Amino acid sequence: MHELIERTLKEASKYFQNFFIHEYLKKSALHFVDPRVKFLMSMVFVLLVVSTFSISKTSVVVISIFAIAIASKLSLSQLIKRAWLFTVFSFVVVLPAVFYDAMYVATFTLRVFAAIISMQLFILTTPFSEICAVLRYFKIPQNLVNSVWLTYRYILLLFNDLLTILLARESRRVSKGSHMDVWRKGGEAVGNFFVRSFERAERVEMAMKSRGDLDWSRNWNFGSNELLSSLITLTVVLWWWIA
Amino acid sequence: MHIPDGYLDIYLVLTMYLLSATVVALSIFRTKTLSQKFGIVAAAIFVAQMLNWPIPGGTSAHFVGGSLAAILLGPYAGCVAMSVVLIVQCLVFNDGGITALGANIWNMAVVNVFVGYFVYKSFEKYGKELAAFLAGWLGITLAAIFAGLEIGLSANFIYGVFITVPIMAVWHAALGVIEGIITAAVLRAVYPSISTEVSKISKKSLLAIILMILVSPIFAYSAELVGYTEPLEKAAENLGLEENPLYSGVLPDYVVPNLDPYLSVLISATLGTFIVFGLGYILNARTNRKNA
Repeated sequence: MHELIERTLKEASKYFQNFFIHEYLKKSALHFVDPRVKFLMSMVFVLLVVSTFSISKTSVVVISIFAIAIASKLSLSQLIKRAWLFTVFSFVVVLPAVFYDAMYVATFTLRVFAAIISMQLFILTTPFSEICAVLRYFKIPQNLVNSVWLTYRYILLLFNDLLTILLARESRRVSKGSHMDVWRKGGEAVGNFFVRSFERAERVEMAMKSRGDLDWSRNWNFGSNELLSSLITLTVVLWWWIA
Repeated sequence: MHIPDGYLDIYLVLTMYLLSATVVALSIFRTKTLSQKFGIVAAAIFVAQMLNWPIPGGTSAHFVGGSLAAILLGPYAGCVAMSVVLIVQCLVFNDGGITALGANIWNMAVVNVFVGYFVYKSFEKYGKELAAFLAGWLGITLAAIFAGLEIGLSANFIYGVFITVPIMAVWHAALGVIEGIITAAVLRAVYPSISTEVSKISKKSLLAIILMILVSPIFAYSAELVGYTEPLEKAAENLGLEENPLYSGVLPDYVVPNLDPYLSVLISATLGTFIVFGLGYILNARTNRKNA
């Protein structure tokens, strides 16, 4: 129990390291579609899902997403892996209702699953820098987008920073100590971590100022991939409407 | 506490986006010195959220950090930093849905941050650590109550507010003690060595946001109650009065004939927004030309 803080942090660091590597590993046809079109496609799917409580309409979206994933060679297992946790959680939350409205439980769970995989179509196939460029394109304030981008870039580094602080503390520890000790020392370690983060933030900001602001402008293009994606989205909307 | 997609109905989604966008926009405006460094501070909050703290009895909990962000950065910058954390969690890790992002920002970046700051400032004179503990505890508990309210009011969710609010409140009031202890412990370590960057707080703005937080459940409740129809129309319907318009408009009652009602409202709203933006754009262009 006393090593819990360090252990969870190590696990988290490992997870995020793998997560970031994964982002660029697999290429599907969707990777080559303009991120703006992909974002709108995902948003349309999410809106189709949340604006209905019909199981047939929701199924239309799920089937369509699976079909798009298969056709574009996007890993289905990855898609499901990213969605199963919240889906199971949502299923457990509404499970007591199964005794009087089993259909509701099925539809609710499917809706959550469909909404998550809709967004994953975009997230899994778009580098985060492109996601930020899309946010800028849709006029999200520059400072907010810059902050989002920096948060993403510094997560792994700061994980390692905190891990280093905790390991240094661990190496100096000679006794197990009580729960109160763990909390007190843990508080000091996290406090120290925040001080370091503030200092790092100052340095990074000064360095960034000297180099100029982040440029989110892109050469967007609307070619055959984008046209096809738009047509697929339109087809799904029509199918959803008549379902 | 992150609400996933599919929990909130479209009315609540729109209401919460509108409320959150207002406060976040005000926070960005008030934090004129907002710079890239908030990205790194936000990353630090994100990382600190991943820590599991041991609780006697073999279990553990993690902290959210809204009150800590408010105390260290001030409420406006804290609100922006927490919003950034939530946007990254939503867009990268799918923790919290894109449709529920407005509600999640409202709970964790507005309620948690502003209530936390307000409580901290109110109790600061009795000791910084006590104030930080109360801010952490109350901030997270109230944020959870708001999450319970939103989920309970949603037409998509089978349990009502009388179930969701007590569950969220009791559970988070207990876990909030840990949030409070961590906030106080971290602040004790941070305070001597850091100059906090609390931006100048306008009492009027702060009061307006606190007021918005207090009345937001009424907004959400009304949205569900009237289904976004005019309360006056509802009253007329109850009185048995009939509508007899001289001109029914292009899209009467925001309804596109032969279309799903949800989709109709969405299309009408998009169309309306485009028209308003178009008119605004033309007006702006004309004004600029006159001034040139």
